[in-house]
Amino acid sequence: MFSDLSAQKEGSSLLCRPASEDQGPAVFERTSLAYSPSSERYGVGERSFSRQYAHIYAARLMQMRPLLSERAKEKWGSDVLIRKLCDLETGEQCCIVGTLFKRMELQPSILKEISEEHNLLPQPARAKYISETDELILEDELQRIKLEGKIDKNKCVTGSVIAIYGAERNDGKFTVEDFCTADLPLQTARPSLSSDRFVLLASGLGLGSSRADSMLGLQLLVDMVTGQLGDLGEQSGAATISRVLLAGNLLSQSTQDKDASTKAKYLTKKTQAGSVEAIRLLDELLLQLVASVPVDVMPGQYDPTNYTLPQQPLHRCMFPLSSVYPTLQLASNPYQADIDGVRFLGTSGQNVCDIQRYSSMDSHVEILEETLRLRHLAPTAPDTLGCYPFYLKDPFILEECPHVYFSGNAPAFESKHIKGPDGQEVLLVTVPEFSSTQTACLINLRTLHCEPVSFSAFSADEDEESEMNISH
Amino acid sequence: MDELYLDNIDEFVNDHDKIVTYKWLSLTLGIHVNTAKQMLFHYLDHKRKESSAQLHATYLVSGKFVDNGQTSHKVSVVREEQLEDVKAKMSLIVSVHVYSVQKALLKDSGPLYSVDYDAVKDNLKNCSKYSAIRCATAVPMSSLELQQAREMHRPPSPEPENKKPAMNGNGILASKPSAKPAKGIMGMFANKSTPKNQDSGREIKSEQKEDAPVVDAPKSRPAAKANPMMNFFGSQPAKKPEKNVKEEEAAQSSSTAAEKQRRSPQPEQKRGDVVAEPQKNTKNDSRSKNKRIEDSDSEEDKMEKKKRRRIKLPEPDSSDEDVIPDSPPQMETREASPSPKKEVEAVTHSYQGNSDGKIRKRRRVLKSRTFVDEEGCIVTEKGYESESYSETEDDFQPTKQALRDPFKASSSKDDEKKSQKKSSASANKGTKQASIMGFFQKK
Repeated sequence: MFSDLSAQKEGSSLLCRPASEDQGPAVFERTSLAYSPSSERYGVGERSFSRQYAHIYAARLMQMRPLLSERAKEKWGSDVLIRKLCDLETGEQCCIVGTLFKRMELQPSILKEISEEHNLLPQPARAKYISETDELILEDELQRIKLEGKIDKNKCVTGSVIAIYGAERNDGKFTVEDFCTADLPLQTARPSLSSDRFVLLASGLGLGSSRADSMLGLQLLVDMVTGQLGDLGEQSGAATISRVLLAGNLLSQSTQDKDASTKAKYLTKKTQAGSVEAIRLLDELLLQLVASVPVDVMPGQYDPTNYTLPQQPLHRCMFPLSSVYPTLQLASNPYQADIDGVRFLGTSGQNVCDIQRYSSMDSHVEILEETLRLRHLAPTAPDTLGCYPFYLKDPFILEECPHVYFSGNAPAFESKHIKGPDGQEVLLVTVPEFSSTQTACLINLRTLHCEPVSFSAFSADEDEESEMNISH
Repeated sequence: MDELYLDNIDEFVNDHDKIVTYKWLSLTLGIHVNTAKQMLFHYLDHKRKESSAQLHATYLVSGKFVDNGQTSHKVSVVREEQLEDVKAKMSLIVSVHVYSVQKALLKDSGPLYSVDYDAVKDNLKNCSKYSAIRCATAVPMSSLELQQAREMHRPPSPEPENKKPAMNGNGILASKPSAKPAKGIMGMFANKSTPKNQDSGREIKSEQKEDAPVVDAPKSRPAAKANPMMNFFGSQPAKKPEKNVKEEEAAQSSSTAAEKQRRSPQPEQKRGDVVAEPQKNTKNDSRSKNKRIEDSDSEEDKMEKKKRRRIKLPEPDSSDEDVIPDSPPQMETREASPSPKKEVEAVTHSYQGNSDGKIRKRRRVLKSRTFVDEEGCIVTEKGYESESYSETEDDFQPTKQALRDPFKASSSKDDEKKSQKKSSASANKGTKQASIMGFFQKK
């Protein structure tokens, strides 16, 4: 635990007089680790939006079909019949592989909205778009078929590629007896480390918001990581934090109000977008951090980068002060990197939030696990989650199993260890939103254990200290 | 000596009524953060023993906290009264130290943040200087390294730029009959050959600015500008008036379009320089330096520099990114400069890549050199100068200028560079002959 590590130094308390001149100030060296980013697959080179999105599904199915066939054989015997939908025969027990499509009545559809015959008003945003009347359909390259049976439609989301075992009934629907997902891909072994090294994950900094309560907490976080806060023990502990990862939503949602587009020009002439000031704040914050620790910055839903996944890294011209430091790494969302041999993979949370909206799952860590089992980062893209129209391959398919899989901007901190069928071990972490929870996560690379770190200050309306800002 | 800081802190707290946080103290006095914390504690202690001063303090407590089975590391800033309370709730205390000392009782921790924010803001460069952790890799990159890093990301972009400009540049030259006179005027200012790509570019830019307005319909005061300029040229070598006029011009015709146009010019001057240095930023400098040394005399140099300096001032106001990075100091030192130059280099760079396999030759070109003679008169002489070029780079200069010209993005973007160059070469010649400003050329 981080606390244990930091408390090891005894007897050096700062509640004393300053020492005499000859004793120099204690300075600890930041542990530096081997870092290799591997997010190239999430970079979008030339951006051509003239393609249809159907190609992603085709690429996805093509890539996942062999994997699923193997899993199906493992699960239901190697002599199981794997059929394409066009070759289905009624009553025959077989296995079909395809993409799930969930037809939801409540799913916002632009076509319905603008259709005159329906005369619908735009649907208000809801927390969940599932209902009892949803239907599951399996599609493969040529056909689609309705599914019924032992499959929980509330937990499934559109876009997941699965294998289903069952038989086709007389009325043209397929009865599901069992299904399987691609499950975790293979994982390279994690090197065993000798000493404790930590990586700090934080997300949802929410800069530029009208409420500035979290600013002191943020300052405390920066001070702790840069070694200014705390006793010698804590500072030496902080020196073992070898990397900081900011997982999205660095700017707050309030910087996103699009006044400029809706208001009259003469009213907005001299006003600046909220994000300008916020980015400046962010730059100064990053400057403090990068002067002391390597930082990876991922963009999030409210950050000034493209909306569709994969979000491209924030441009370095927005960070004139901090981009002169080589320790600043502007990363894409999703993010993948090898930190000292430990593979990190994660997103800023948009994929998880989207699945949460279109399924009955509520716990972010549960959803994380589900995406890992499906072997796809964002199955709902491009259906309900904005995505770039890929056509050659789907970069969201996990090809190698990460050791740490995280998602940002969760309502609370959660972490879980899961095991895969081939001996994989993954740490799932949901990084809480800092602006509301004042909590960040520390991952110990040696033990792959995650610990929340919370910051708090006092305010006028709190009398008891203990009530404040506990992470959960 | 040791006690001096006590007085300091006393002064801050009591006299200035400040909230003295450890961080603020550390940045103000230039001491290690831990020392600052200890000093604050000592001060607090001392003051309390000495007199029951009305001092309040906030502490930082951090430690292990168990909540519903979940252990977390908790860091909090607490008021003195709450210190023991909080300490009791933690299962393991990691650190406790004084966070701040102030006269008034703080109800809210907001002011603490603003104090620190201001302190950090004033010391952005060395915010980590007094911290307890040093990071070996966190060293700001020098501008050279930055450039290299950016160039690595750049290569694809200059290529398309290249093509477009080539066309545009040619287009412009072809359409401007007064290009020649402009060059003549430019020749005067540009100290024949000189060098500093940017600087000559600058001047030429201002020249061309006046020239561009002259030719371009959109610019309103062109003719008016041109005339006073001409007058000055004709009458006397008074540099200041020229400079002023130039400045004015520069300031007025500061639209990006115009600027971009003339960025180009230097067909003769720059070409040699730029073309000669394939891949290196700094090589450019050395080459231009050579030229400068061999061609100019000190007086001219000064004049040039002065002119350049003056011209540059209004330009930063403009939105043209090319203009901004060129600042006087850079001019002096001739270092690898920011983006525009880089772009230029990048273009050269990619350009060189394109012209691989072409033979580089030197040829003698009839050029007008303008210089100030002993009496202070501006004299223009025509003479042959050798210049390096290669087959495909006939119109490298126009290419360069085209680089800066967005609005001439005509359909010829897709044309071969060669054909572009050839056409521009002929266009150049064409303009020379057709120019009605021939009057002013033979000075």
